[in-house]
Amino acid sequence: MPLLDPGTLALVALAALLLAGALSPLETLGWWAGWYGDPVDEREIDPACGSPDESDEPAADSARDAAEAGAGTASAAPAASPWVVYLTGIQAVGPVSYADPDRRLLARLADAVPSGRVLEVFPYSVTNRALTGERTFARVWRWALRAKLDHRRLLQLAGFLINLRNLWQVLVSADRRYGPFYSRGSAELIVRSLRRRGYPLEPGPYAPRIVLVGYSGGAQVAAGAAPFVRQRTHAEVTVVSLGGVLAADPGLLAADHVWHLYGTADRIQRWTSWMFPGRWRLLPWSPWNVARHRGRLSEVAISPCDHTGADGYLDEHARARDGRSYFEITLDVLAAIARGDDEPLPVAA
Amino acid sequence: MGTPLELVWGALRLDPAAFRSLLVAAPGAGVGLTVVYLAGLSLAVGQSVVLFAERVSPRRFAATLGVQAVLFLASFVGWALAVWWVARVGFDAARPLRDVVAVVGLAHAPQLLGFLILTPYLGGPLQSLLSAWTLLATVVAAAAVFDLGAAQALACSASGWLVAQLLQRTLGAPLVRAGQRVRAWVAGIEIASTARRER
Repeated sequence: MPLLDPGTLALVALAALLLAGALSPLETLGWWAGWYGDPVDEREIDPACGSPDESDEPAADSARDAAEAGAGTASAAPAASPWVVYLTGIQAVGPVSYADPDRRLLARLADAVPSGRVLEVFPYSVTNRALTGERTFARVWRWALRAKLDHRRLLQLAGFLINLRNLWQVLVSADRRYGPFYSRGSAELIVRSLRRRGYPLEPGPYAPRIVLVGYSGGAQVAAGAAPFVRQRTHAEVTVVSLGGVLAADPGLLAADHVWHLYGTADRIQRWTSWMFPGRWRLLPWSPWNVARHRGRLSEVAISPCDHTGADGYLDEHARARDGRSYFEITLDVLAAIARGDDEPLPVAA
Repeated sequence: MGTPLELVWGALRLDPAAFRSLLVAAPGAGVGLTVVYLAGLSLAVGQSVVLFAERVSPRRFAATLGVQAVLFLASFVGWALAVWWVARVGFDAARPLRDVVAVVGLAHAPQLLGFLILTPYLGGPLQSLLSAWTLLATVVAAAAVFDLGAAQALACSASGWLVAQLLQRTLGAPLVRAGQRVRAWVAGIEIASTARRER
């Protein structure tokens, strides 16, 4: 049998893909079973982003801020002081985004949301361990990351391994067997991150609103974590799916509102809506369709953008007809949702 | 007879020659039983979510997988006996029991991939695929060992499976319950709740 027989290669690739898939839930299941002790890497939680000067702010100060923000009108308090938690796409290797557009988005979003905080949580590990950190295959992931950042196209393909690994984690989150465990783990990370930044966790009337923004696969993790975040914080939780690769997760029903934002040229989010049967219109009892019928899930085309890269949601060069870049449109829409503006979303004209 | 790996590969490809080659070899039944045990182990891994959910320790986890594989083997022996009896009575096709154990055991080769049931989102469809694949392999095996046509082999395998199910729920029920108790005891879980359910 020739070494490079295409059929053999395809079979080996399929076997490797399935093997990676079969192994993918083990981190979550092992964490749940307590096999790793308490392995959450606290050093990795809450990297300073958005407003780094506030990262050491004592919890009491932030709680006071929140109370003061709500002193005017009780009903306005949650909307006035939103906390934004950003869960990035499947290209991520750890709790800090290495991609410049993501970092710019977080910084600009922090400026655009008055008195709000913008945090980042790594959505593809319930133990919050970076792929390039203390892991058995850390060297492989470091190599894959270098390949991804390389300018040579062939090497960039090797970097796709990271996307593939994280895509399996998205499916772990979407799976009925593993989803509840994964979502609890993700919610725990989100709550820990909020607490460290001073979010008031004590039950009270002024729990600041939490906006979970999930980009691509991060949207699935955000939707899954929503009920547990809400349970822990007693806050109003809004889920924003930015080009979301997400299933009809039951967590969608726990969110006060779900915004599914997409670009009209984004084929990946369109394929995703076909891939997960719960999102098909012919299944009216699925959580996705129930939330939609209750008016708590809005699907909004925000611009003519694609899923990622050039012409993607965070492209600062491609422009819509109203003159704004796709990046600015995405930022404007996210900021409007985070602020809780009553006006229609500032989508592309 | 080829190597065990060649036999498994042949069974996966539903090659009747792989099954026939076991009939002329002395350790055929051993190969069949080994395949079934390993398939049971692999399936136990694929269905291990409940053990993780119950927060079973790694040591108990490994021991429980071993017990589940033995229970799978016991259930297989019941099925092989039923197929052997149905073929003898219903199809007038008599073969030594060890030949039936050998080929029907080898037909469980697709279940060696049972650990793939762990695969998120695709686990359910993969489980159905492996079951259908095993059924097809069993039909090919029955046809090979009893020299039957495809329809007769299918009827023989299905009838054998039905008889085995019937036995499990009647005469074999105490054994099944005992197996469940041993599994729960080894895993260190659900002993009380299992007893409650039984009452």
